[in-house]
Amino acid sequence: MLLSRPIRLAFALVSITLAANFLSAQKVLHSDEDQRPNGFHTDSGETMPAVASPNNGTVVLGNGINYHGGTVLHSNPVPVYIIWYGDWSGTGSNTSHTVSVIDAFLAANSLGNSGYEKINSTYGDAIGNVSGNLELSRQVFDTGSQGTKLTNKKLTAIVNEHLTSGSLPTNSKGVYLVLTSSNVSETGFCSQFCGFHTAQTLNGSNIKWAFIGNPDRCQSACEIQSTGPNSPARGVGGADGMTNIIAHETEESISDPDLNAWFDSSGEENADKCNFRFGPTRTAADGAKFNQTFGGHDWMIQMNWENRSGGGCAQVLGGKFF
Amino acid sequence: MKRLFLNLIAVFLVVVAVAQEPVKPQLTPRIITATRSVSLFTGLEKQVFQAIQRKDKAALDALVEDDFEIEMPDADPLPGDDWEQAVLSRDYDLKSFLIRQMSARDLGTAVVVNYDRVQQSTYKGKSDGGEFFVVDLWNKEGDSWRLAARYVSKVSTIPWTPKTTPKPTGKQ
Repeated sequence: MLLSRPIRLAFALVSITLAANFLSAQKVLHSDEDQRPNGFHTDSGETMPAVASPNNGTVVLGNGINYHGGTVLHSNPVPVYIIWYGDWSGTGSNTSHTVSVIDAFLAANSLGNSGYEKINSTYGDAIGNVSGNLELSRQVFDTGSQGTKLTNKKLTAIVNEHLTSGSLPTNSKGVYLVLTSSNVSETGFCSQFCGFHTAQTLNGSNIKWAFIGNPDRCQSACEIQSTGPNSPARGVGGADGMTNIIAHETEESISDPDLNAWFDSSGEENADKCNFRFGPTRTAADGAKFNQTFGGHDWMIQMNWENRSGGGCAQVLGGKFF
Repeated sequence: MKRLFLNLIAVFLVVVAVAQEPVKPQLTPRIITATRSVSLFTGLEKQVFQAIQRKDKAALDALVEDDFEIEMPDADPLPGDDWEQAVLSRDYDLKSFLIRQMSARDLGTAVVVNYDRVQQSTYKGKSDGGEFFVVDLWNKEGDSWRLAARYVSKVSTIPWTPKTTPKPTGKQ
């Protein structure tokens, strides 16, 4: 049977479409497996082989966390840039009080160079070790350029916008933090995670950036206590909750900036191994618990994994493991 | 002839439309700080599967409710007793498992957990492994949590072989 030209064309069109869809479906499945953020640090969902000691034995393996050949951030101090996203002149913990608490946390000789942050100096690469020092370099306010319902794409756009506009410098050796007010949602925030860190090429440089949401949006999921040591009022614990997640994300962004340096066989980075573990605490007059004091403030922040003496969660470098 | 041509065009449009559904966001390479709930329920889910690996009925009973049920596509609900009998029998061998991409939504005295599970297992000597999408409902009973219901769907039967890092010796 001979078919007319339009019919043959239509058959050809349908056949090509079916073939393209089939091939596309195969690619999508493969692509998903390749890019799954499963904590295994590779696109394939497999672990990377551990490699030998990164710098002639000054950083050793065998402490429950492995080196995989990537670089760490060495600067002394590592510059930190903040994008305050959303409404930070509002109520509750979305206020200038939170801004001043986090500024104090990241000020010179506060978190940076503390006995706590020095735990990170047990990580290194072929060039040398992490300094254990970091410092707030510059901060900007973005009242909502991408709206209040964020996705990872929109977060990327926020960081990129502030780099390309020059409101923040483009520095591949720094860490950028996007801190969102509690009226801002981000897909996965509060149900999967309290924050995350990643690395991307933005404005022509390899930029390390992290997202940290105000945990007052979901106190049971991401906040340690409703009233923290720096709360302006009872039940307003967002600022202290954020300092805990900032400590976590900055430690990992410095010791595993490109997701290919330091993590264990199950894909956990140093701070992941001590997530929401605080060790012994003290209690302030208002009932708030804290486990660190530096920079003129008390803080309640999780422990970090020390890469020596067999490895363990510690509050300060050389301190007891808990 | 014209009608047949129009029908073929309609088929083409349907094929294109089906291929676009559902919209699936690309996964982003990033390392997350898990919520407290995700940390807690990752641990509890691991306890369930470790009890199955050990064939430890007492441990499994402590983690699941008496009227626990499993629902899956194109099947009647599976009673918890039947499931327990099957997974604790010698016929079932759960060699390895990995839980990933967990979300946990806290509803007060109940938490809805969903995650992706990849496993290597055999049932009556035949491979039963693959990738599964699981939704679990956990109820709080006093200070402990017990699994009330599970909704599970097989995503892929592709065998999965974990590649682990060499165990560090400290002498590298």
